[in-house]
Amino acid sequence: MKTLPLFSLNRLYNYSGAALLGLCLCFSLFAQTTPLPTPPSVDYPGMIESLEKLIQLDNKKFQKKNDELIKNGTTINDFSTVSSLEIDPDYLNSIILHSKPGYVKLASTNKCRFYDTLINDLLRNADGDIRNIFITFLNKNKERGSASVVKKEFINKVVSLECPETPKLIDEFQVKNLDKTIKATNFDSPAGKDQCHNVYLDWLNNSRTPYYCKVHEFIKEARSGSGDAKDLVQRRAIAAILEKKLDVQQRDYLDNLCENLGDEEKFCEDFLNVSFWSKIAAGRENKIYAEDICRRVMGSPTLNAIQLKQCIARIKKENDLCMYPAGRSQGLVPAPQCDTLATALNFSSLRADYRDCPSTSDQQAITNMARLLLNISKEAIQPYNGSCSTISTGVTYQFNKRFNNDENWNLEACYMDPLAEKELCYKTFIGSYGTVPESYNMVVAKILQNTRGADANVKCEMIDSEDYNPLLLQYKSGCYIIYERTKCFMSQCKHKILYNDRSIDFIKLKNRITLDYFPSNIVNERYSQQYMLVNDYRQKGRSLNNMSSIITFFKKSKKGIIHGVGCAEDLLPSFFKVEAFNQCSPLPFIIDGMIRENDKTVFVTRSAVDSLQAPRLISWGSVYSAVKSYQRQHPLRLWTLYGLD
Amino acid sequence: MVWISLVLFSLSIFAKELPKFLTKHPLDSLRFVSLDGRYAYVQKKQGVLGLISSFRSEDFLSESSQSDFLVKDSRFKRRLIIEVIPEHQREYNLAKNHKIKVVDWGKTQLKDIGVGRGARLHLDDEWITFYDTIDKTINIQNILTQKKFMIRLPAKTSPFFQPEIEMVSSDTVVYSDVNEKGTVALIQYNLITQKSNILYKSSQSGTRLELCQAKGYMGIGEFPYDDISRNSKIMQIQISSSTNLAGFTTAYSSTDSDLGNMVCTDQSIYFIKTFTHLKKINFKSTDVVKLDLKTTQVQILSEMNTVNQILSMDGRILIPFRGEFFVIEGSSNITDDKLKAPVRSTEELPLEI
Repeated sequence: MKTLPLFSLNRLYNYSGAALLGLCLCFSLFAQTTPLPTPPSVDYPGMIESLEKLIQLDNKKFQKKNDELIKNGTTINDFSTVSSLEIDPDYLNSIILHSKPGYVKLASTNKCRFYDTLINDLLRNADGDIRNIFITFLNKNKERGSASVVKKEFINKVVSLECPETPKLIDEFQVKNLDKTIKATNFDSPAGKDQCHNVYLDWLNNSRTPYYCKVHEFIKEARSGSGDAKDLVQRRAIAAILEKKLDVQQRDYLDNLCENLGDEEKFCEDFLNVSFWSKIAAGRENKIYAEDICRRVMGSPTLNAIQLKQCIARIKKENDLCMYPAGRSQGLVPAPQCDTLATALNFSSLRADYRDCPSTSDQQAITNMARLLLNISKEAIQPYNGSCSTISTGVTYQFNKRFNNDENWNLEACYMDPLAEKELCYKTFIGSYGTVPESYNMVVAKILQNTRGADANVKCEMIDSEDYNPLLLQYKSGCYIIYERTKCFMSQCKHKILYNDRSIDFIKLKNRITLDYFPSNIVNERYSQQYMLVNDYRQKGRSLNNMSSIITFFKKSKKGIIHGVGCAEDLLPSFFKVEAFNQCSPLPFIIDGMIRENDKTVFVTRSAVDSLQAPRLISWGSVYSAVKSYQRQHPLRLWTLYGLD
Repeated sequence: MVWISLVLFSLSIFAKELPKFLTKHPLDSLRFVSLDGRYAYVQKKQGVLGLISSFRSEDFLSESSQSDFLVKDSRFKRRLIIEVIPEHQREYNLAKNHKIKVVDWGKTQLKDIGVGRGARLHLDDEWITFYDTIDKTINIQNILTQKKFMIRLPAKTSPFFQPEIEMVSSDTVVYSDVNEKGTVALIQYNLITQKSNILYKSSQSGTRLELCQAKGYMGIGEFPYDDISRNSKIMQIQISSSTNLAGFTTAYSSTDSDLGNMVCTDQSIYFIKTFTHLKKINFKSTDVVKLDLKTTQVQILSEMNTVNQILSMDGRILIPFRGEFFVIEGSSNITDDKLKAPVRSTEELPLEI
């Protein structure tokens, strides 16, 4: 069978356009059969004719052909005796005229996609659901004939031979296998126009799309009660099973995909133009983005679903509510206003399902690195103790240790060993993260075991001084590290250690955590975070130094992000003012989205001092100025803006 | 027609290409140079600050190899502040304290003051103020008598907030503060009685106050933060022997979300104004303007569209822009190598001579 002709992407799937094409097909070389005579009661249609008339004409032609083939009883008993099998062009016209434009577009990508769309009842003809398929073929005598084939036979005798993947796909979408299939499918939302274009094309060319849309249509039909009333109860039961296998976000995703397959703009609009707050209210986005804001708005430390919805309704109307969220140790404030924040979040793709408290970070390189690493690895956040910036420290420490850079981790907990009569020090970081042995909690416990004969199972717990109540019995025994929240960071922490209600003051923290984010000299290049990320962790990275390269980067890379270091005075000039000549405060940042409006481009940016849930929109001019000014200051004059694929 | 063309003249004539700042010292190592080019404080290598004048070149401050320096002056030209930034390229911390030292103008004898950020000289360079970001305290110190005062800000203040501080007299400090709702206020504090009163409280959240002083007045600018749409305002308080700061006048007001970053001179205030603002995507085009305090006329001085900062260095007003500096006021070219005659009473000469 010949493949369907390539259709242009615009307009063609309007009904009138499709009908015109159908008519053109009648008169093209594809029309191998003798054209049926025009019924005398209908005027011969010209190029401009009403849609109703076109459909009427097509219906009459279809019925005539249908009657003829059935009356003649023309079938094919042995498909091996025929060749040059093609779908009847008039039949194709009928499909184009009566099917949803999106499914016609899906069907036209290639032959097997056409068959898949047919199998899954996504196409229609003049009769409605497709039961028989009209084909033309060359018989033994090389004469062209026509026949009507029952759909099931067509699938078994033609489709399974010409498209070997189809039986596998049918199996994948059996109810018993559907969970596995869904798990293996990527339902990620695009974070920009170019990314959305790529995602849309991927779905159009994806062999599973017709099967997913079948699931969507099945659920939709069962919900609305349409179709055969006799088996409605059964269909609703199956639809309920299918619905349970998809979460809310996936169901909405398929709704949007299958309803807008024919219109890329509408498909993308759902991601890019719908308010981010509405997506949170509908359960399509994580509520973490609104939690801190809503705690402030509702004046309550905890929120139930109703309060969240009420808060979101207010956020959509009152633009200033997002600027000063509640919560301990949030990032740079004020955050953007609600409308700007929603726009930024719609175009953002950086993982942000946890809090990392940038205001308790005194080493913003660690905050930025942890964001990159957690975004790449997608690993679950491990249980932690202490300030929430411990997550960043723990993740970055593990990364450095993995690539043998823990020797350059300077922060140590030291004590005087009376037996060895010298000072012993252990590498550490403030707080505890998972079971990392260098957590301060574990190091203190180890020192207590060595010096105070503490039990091998002793565990030290970090307690915020505002939560600590010395009168409580629980604090009379065990090991506690009481820290002052406003003076406890990654590298230094004002705290006291209590063991069995006695103060332990012989453990000292020495040095601070210092890192090269980008290499600051040639000799130690190998120990910089960027070097380890690209060379050891094997993350593809490339330098981006102009707007065109960044635009190309976001077009080609669906989940790529850009990271860099720039002068804070250029990146966030209203927050950080220049007071002296050559003042430049290095500030790491991440760009994870781009918005272009006319000829203006802004980037969705999180500096290392911004909250993960509150990205800003920063223009290319400011980003470029920041990186360029920093380049001037950098010991190696490096250009510090890199894209990571 | 004449009136229109005069207006266009004032708008256009200064919006021309600005000259680049040229010195005989490499720009990336320069930390301060006087208006006449006589004295230059230069970072000779990482961690080492030197003074280069007509007759001497001396490395007078040596810190750890990763340190950087900020050198700040004031309009009184008697002393300079040197802020030592430890581990500049390896400890990324916008809230870290710097070591603060003071040196006499054109000299090398250092005096340690304390640790903090945002250090400023006041009142004939006899007083210094700075902000300790960890303790959240405003420190006020007399350089000669060593007398110290401290104003504590609330513990919940954001670690990235840095108050603006000005001294009006030896017992009166004016500083900005912000509450949890983001409303900013200007507070007058008496160092002797330790009593404070609010001079000005903003009617909108999401803004910040900037303070600057010149001869006879203090300028107060209220500007929005990035990503926030708010009005902008510049007010003026006349400073005289009386410390009553009650009355201030509005010299400039706009519905635009200007960037601010003011620099005050005796007759004018330079600041960064927003000319176009696409609110939906927060795209702004910003340039430097000059507000004449007598006429309240605003003059556009640059045409760069992405100006973020202005700075004053011994009266020379510069735009730092993408690693280079463009001069708005003052001479732009101080590459002249001719030795200047020593200022006998003040300039230190090398011992050999």
